[in-house]
Amino acid sequence: MSRTRIGVWKICMLALTVCFPMEALAQAIAVETGFGVGLFKEHIRSVFETQCQTCHNSELKQGGLDLSTRALLLRGGDRGPAIVPGDPKSSLLYRLVAQEEEPRMPFKGKKLPDDVIARIADWIRAGAPFDEPSLGTTSTNDKEVSSTGVPRRVVVQTSGDTTGGKSAVEQAHLVLEKQCLMCHGGKWKKNGLDLSTRDALLRGGDSGSAVVLGNAKASLLYKKVSHENEPGMPYKGNKLPEDQIARLAEWINAGAPYDRALALSPSIEASSPDEIKHWAYQSPKRSAVPKVRNVAWVRNPIDAFISADHEKRGLKPLSPAEKNILLRRVYLDLIGLPPSTEQLDAFLADRSKDAYERVVDSLLASPQYGERWGRHWMDVWRYSDWYGFGSEVRFSQRFIWHWRDWIIESLNKDKGYDQMIVEMLAGDELSPTDPKVVRATGFVARNYDKYDRHKWMQDAVDHTAMGFLGITIKCARCHDHKYDPITQEEYYRFRAFFEPYDVRTDRVPGQPDLSKDGLPRVFDAEVGASTYRLKRGDPQNPDTEHSLSPGVPEILSGKGIDIQPVALTLDTFYPDFRHFVRSDLVSQVKTEIDKAEAELAEAQKRVREAQQQMAGVGIEKKVTETSIADGSDPAADSTKPVSPDVKEQKISKVTAEVILAEKRLAAARAALPAIQARIEAEVAKYDAPPNANEETLTLAARKAERQAGLLKAEENLLRAQQQLADAMSLPLADQKAAADKKAADQKTSEEKEKKAGEARKQVEAALAALSQPIEGYTPLGKVYPRSSTGRRLALARWIASKQNPLTARVAINHIWLRHFGRPLVPTVFDFGLNGKPPTHPELLDWLAIELIEKDWSMKTVHRLVVTSNTYRMQSSADEPVGRNLTIDPDNQYLWRMNARRMEAEIVRDSVLFVGGKLDTMMGGPDLDESQGLTSPRRSIYFRHNPELQMEFLKLFDSANPDDCYERNESVTPQQALAMANSRLTLSQARLVARRLSEKAGSDPRSFVGAAFKTVLGRPPSVPERVRGETFLRQQGDMLRNSEKLTKFHAGSPNEVQPAVEPHLRARENLVHVLFNHNEFVTIR
Amino acid sequence: MRPSERTGCCGNVNRRMFLADCGMGFTGLVLGAMFERHGIVRAAPPAIWTPPDGKPHFAPKAKSVIWFFMIGGVSHMDTFDPKPALNKYAGKKISETPYRGTLDNPNIKKNLREMVVGLHKVHPEIYPMQVGYRKWGKSGIEVSDWWPNVGECVDDLAIVRSMWTTDNNHGAQLQFHTGRHVLEGHFPSIGSWVHYGLGSLNDNLPQFVVLGEPIASCCGGVGAHGASYLGPRHGGVRLDANPESPLPFASPGVDIYKEEQEQEFTLLNDFNKLAGVEYPNDSTTEARIKSYELAFRMQTAVPEIFRLDQENESIQEMYGLDQKVTEPFGKVCLTARRLVEKGVRFIQVFHGQNNGAGSWDAHSNLKKGHTDLCAQVDKPIAGLLRDLKQRGLLEETLVVLGTEFGRTPGAQGANGRDHHPYGFSVCMAGGGLKGGIAHGATDELGFHAVEHRHYVTDIHATVLKQMGLDPHRLEVPGRKRLEIDFGHPIEAIIA
Repeated sequence: MSRTRIGVWKICMLALTVCFPMEALAQAIAVETGFGVGLFKEHIRSVFETQCQTCHNSELKQGGLDLSTRALLLRGGDRGPAIVPGDPKSSLLYRLVAQEEEPRMPFKGKKLPDDVIARIADWIRAGAPFDEPSLGTTSTNDKEVSSTGVPRRVVVQTSGDTTGGKSAVEQAHLVLEKQCLMCHGGKWKKNGLDLSTRDALLRGGDSGSAVVLGNAKASLLYKKVSHENEPGMPYKGNKLPEDQIARLAEWINAGAPYDRALALSPSIEASSPDEIKHWAYQSPKRSAVPKVRNVAWVRNPIDAFISADHEKRGLKPLSPAEKNILLRRVYLDLIGLPPSTEQLDAFLADRSKDAYERVVDSLLASPQYGERWGRHWMDVWRYSDWYGFGSEVRFSQRFIWHWRDWIIESLNKDKGYDQMIVEMLAGDELSPTDPKVVRATGFVARNYDKYDRHKWMQDAVDHTAMGFLGITIKCARCHDHKYDPITQEEYYRFRAFFEPYDVRTDRVPGQPDLSKDGLPRVFDAEVGASTYRLKRGDPQNPDTEHSLSPGVPEILSGKGIDIQPVALTLDTFYPDFRHFVRSDLVSQVKTEIDKAEAELAEAQKRVREAQQQMAGVGIEKKVTETSIADGSDPAADSTKPVSPDVKEQKISKVTAEVILAEKRLAAARAALPAIQARIEAEVAKYDAPPNANEETLTLAARKAERQAGLLKAEENLLRAQQQLADAMSLPLADQKAAADKKAADQKTSEEKEKKAGEARKQVEAALAALSQPIEGYTPLGKVYPRSSTGRRLALARWIASKQNPLTARVAINHIWLRHFGRPLVPTVFDFGLNGKPPTHPELLDWLAIELIEKDWSMKTVHRLVVTSNTYRMQSSADEPVGRNLTIDPDNQYLWRMNARRMEAEIVRDSVLFVGGKLDTMMGGPDLDESQGLTSPRRSIYFRHNPELQMEFLKLFDSANPDDCYERNESVTPQQALAMANSRLTLSQARLVARRLSEKAGSDPRSFVGAAFKTVLGRPPSVPERVRGETFLRQQGDMLRNSEKLTKFHAGSPNEVQPAVEPHLRARENLVHVLFNHNEFVTIR
Repeated sequence: MRPSERTGCCGNVNRRMFLADCGMGFTGLVLGAMFERHGIVRAAPPAIWTPPDGKPHFAPKAKSVIWFFMIGGVSHMDTFDPKPALNKYAGKKISETPYRGTLDNPNIKKNLREMVVGLHKVHPEIYPMQVGYRKWGKSGIEVSDWWPNVGECVDDLAIVRSMWTTDNNHGAQLQFHTGRHVLEGHFPSIGSWVHYGLGSLNDNLPQFVVLGEPIASCCGGVGAHGASYLGPRHGGVRLDANPESPLPFASPGVDIYKEEQEQEFTLLNDFNKLAGVEYPNDSTTEARIKSYELAFRMQTAVPEIFRLDQENESIQEMYGLDQKVTEPFGKVCLTARRLVEKGVRFIQVFHGQNNGAGSWDAHSNLKKGHTDLCAQVDKPIAGLLRDLKQRGLLEETLVVLGTEFGRTPGAQGANGRDHHPYGFSVCMAGGGLKGGIAHGATDELGFHAVEHRHYVTDIHATVLKQMGLDPHRLEVPGRKRLEIDFGHPIEAIIA
């Protein structure tokens, strides 16, 4: 992978700032001495005449180039200027005659002698003077321009002749300030160009240097304002008056002097360029609901807005979808599961006016709503389970599923979207003591990156901005945003909100072991963290001279933000001090004592047994050497008689086990007073008013901890020693195996020796500690800063405020996309100038305001959407097909519903649901993704990270956990195979067929009907039913003669075996076919 | 029917005569199938745009492409473009050599678009070649000793030594396949253009197959074999060259009968068509029907392809299947040949995926890295070339061996070379190209492509031309392409 190099950038910049004035100086010197003119006269002119001007003259102008005069030389030909005065290497003319570039010059001729080429270089270096009078610029001080077209410095500096009382330099400055600085030097430095100071001017912009000092005509700035180069400047504006252009030319010819830093006048700064008027940066406005002719069609304002566009374009909305299609649509849309046949029947039978609305209400009230829409928001909010290497977390966080459960629960409670944003970005600052809120910060914790803090920060910034605000602030990481009014500095000020944060895992009640459960969350670790702009986005190149305070892009700032530090309570900055953690820690020690006691009892029992054997008491037992070596129960195997030696070995081994177990128990028992003493001391420490016994308790804790530590160290030492001894005394019975294993054994014993060494060190350390004066003890856990900066809380409140022009619109767009399969703003994460405008701007705004005014209730919006007539239309194209399709083939204006393919999770969940096997248990730890085809839990609960994903889901375009603002909808042969061949669909089809057969009995007709209804949510058409019945008959007959059939030879048998009875098996096949039906995965 | 005879017959006929003169008389298995399907090359473009009809625009020279991609950037000087000057001036600064002008070459900045300015600087101290080289074959083209087997095939190779690209980071991997850098987004890959332009030669297999582990997502990921706006139907279908599980869900399991499943697919097809009547303008329904048709046939055809044990021992040995080092890539190459035999149009083969920039990325330890990697691929690739040739398939199969950029003539650190977009090599063979030719050149240091410079899309243009396609006629309305996206066929290497 590419590695960043320090300092190269610096050198480049230095080179740029240094070399231009040097060149200008060289030119000036050359001009003064007449060196260049002399060269031209003596050497260059003749070369031009004989070698160049034969083609590049005023008549032939090969390649558009005419070398008759200096001005024409400077203007150049089709490929741009022929020379850059002062810089032969950048001069096309030089490169072609030096034959560094094609076409080599002289064209098809012999290369010029090297000394001639060298003289041409010298001449260009000297400013490429001709000895003819310059055609000059439109300069007013032509008389002062030297014959070379390059003014003398000396002359310029005295050129204080005034026009209207202002010096020429000042006049040029005024042109720059009025016409250029708006985009190049004030807040904006478009294309990286800053004209406010001479240094910045010389540095140039992304297109290279803006000026060639002393040579206006070769200067990009001049070419742009004179509209010689595209795009002409001012950008999209009228060309400047000729006299203003002339002022700029003079100024460049004079070496572009600055006597002050230029600045925008306040009045100019106030007038806003186009980008500031961009729709997405204006607050949404609630337009009046349009009056339309098709009044009968309008159920709610959504329909009115949609209908208005229909009428404007001559579109006719399609009729409502059939009831069964509508029901399936709204079920899958709101809860991600199809309706059961009972639910379908009930709905079809319900003739009441509000039958549909009642279904909608019950679906929105169902807990499955949170799972369905939770998955959508998990896409946008980049949910990813942890991943790394072995047990090492490198990305995201272990137990991040607590955040997933928060998402589902919050949606089910219809928590306001604004509140959700605040809790996710700053739950730790909003409700520091409430873990139910703090878990929401998984949104921020998820960005964790073990290796790269910058990447971590970058993800937090980029995705907060794209997910909530629909702005691609990420583009401003390396340079000012190319399209949107966001500066690079603003990018880093946005980052400053996140700069102090870090990630930790707090204990949860009942589980002191942090490898088993815990609450991953964020907190401000470094309250005084500084943020610096990274020059060109390079982490090696921070601009440490300016520390940046947190801030939001000015274009969106509104009333600005208010950052207030948050004081934290003891329970928050010292989470292991919480009462439940204390008692969990004590119980943990007690459990350990219980275990140690049990182990000791077990070891003692083994000693007794061995002694009995030794004494020959009881039943004669035979022991194999291997069983002794590996410590397994000798009673289990009895193939060889036992030699006395072996018996002794056995005794000494089990005796050693007892000694170790005793040590373990002693250590475990000592740990109890130690933890208790530490707790007492900590309680005293944080007591208010101060506890008089604190000192005594501290001493006691220290002592107890040291004693426990010593015993633990002794235990470790003993264990290590025993392991070492075991390793050294491997039985040599099987010489060959021993030889084979030699290398491995050696490695193991080395490791064991190392462990023993470590254990010895621990004992020594513990012993040494005992002789030290008693001072302190280990606290119960980590103590974190006692306050949080409040930065994220301020950011969150700003994002979630009613005034923010983007937040509600972005949310509405995401919701709309998932109801209709297409968003209102096609670029879901970019509402900026490079994004696409909304298809229905008034509707978008109306809904955004509706969301805000209904306390950001998303369920309100869902209800409004799914009860609209717009949503209820059919997706096929019937009556007005020709007309609508001609006017709006892509259905941009929603004259029909869009048919969609189910998302991956819905495909899998629906198969299980129809099969009657779906386990609707909610929440909890992420499940092993490899169990996806056998476990009946909902898909949302399976591990999903960039490395581990369920293959079945992946084939159906499941979310990229790093970035998924909109899902893909592909159709591939691999999907077909997943549906046709996976054990999931095969087993569920069998279960469905058997269940339906019980009800339908032997009648194939009613079976086909029931199968269609169960799997596709609709009855079969007549041809479908007939075809289905024929299939059942033929397939059954074929299966009856199974001896003539060929089985697949690959794959494993399914846990749900096919039916033995041929006609039942044919029915299973039919249901299986329906699972594979296009209509099954399609939401019509 | 031998390929040479075919060329003799059809090489110069005009389009109208094509079918009458040649097509009807063919009985040759593969090409015959192609002509039968295509009937005739496509007539002049219609006035109104229509999607491609699967027929080539003019008489093709090749029917299939095998496109190797070595991920990470192969050192051109140490492989197909040996530079003795590097040994002569080893340890010297470039500025201390007669070639100091190299550093002033305008292409240093002109072609380069840097994402992080100065990230990859010019490494001034000359690093010698890390391996010897010699002349091979009748043509005497020089190839490094890391490629003894491919070297032996040099008389069949057309080596283009004057490639350049614009980007100095691994986003150039995507660029090699689409012509555009990863930051510009995803565009149709070369394989998808071929798929889009030409009809199928075998309905049982995908027409665009991807073997090996594709490039990492940082550098373009699936975009390198994606179809972008041409639609997912035209994207590459990944097959895992692991005979145990070449295709996920390839078999329903041992308790299902083949006949049983076939009847299911037939029923499904009927059901989908019956339902599709309700939604006549839903292209997804049609796409799904097609996906099931292909899936059904893939189940048997794909595992069959991977049954490498059907090949006799001498063939297996040819690809290095008998040696541990060459076995993995040997299997991939042999699979590629089997796919070509079955008429798959475009086989994209990746080598050197490592979840990052790619294994060939030799910032340090170049000698060890390239020694190992070349050993993995040299014999298998040569085996493929020899095998194709002995079967008469090389003439109609265009083989491309590419990488995203070359490596610096100067040393990076103690023993590496940095990324180098100014000059690098691509090898091609077969498919109506000349053999034993080295086209274009870098300068004495291998720094700049100086003679017959070619941007990566020139390889695309060459491939499309040999396949009988004119990229301009494949354009999709509303999807404007830049001139550079089309490239220019490298005529000098076309036979």
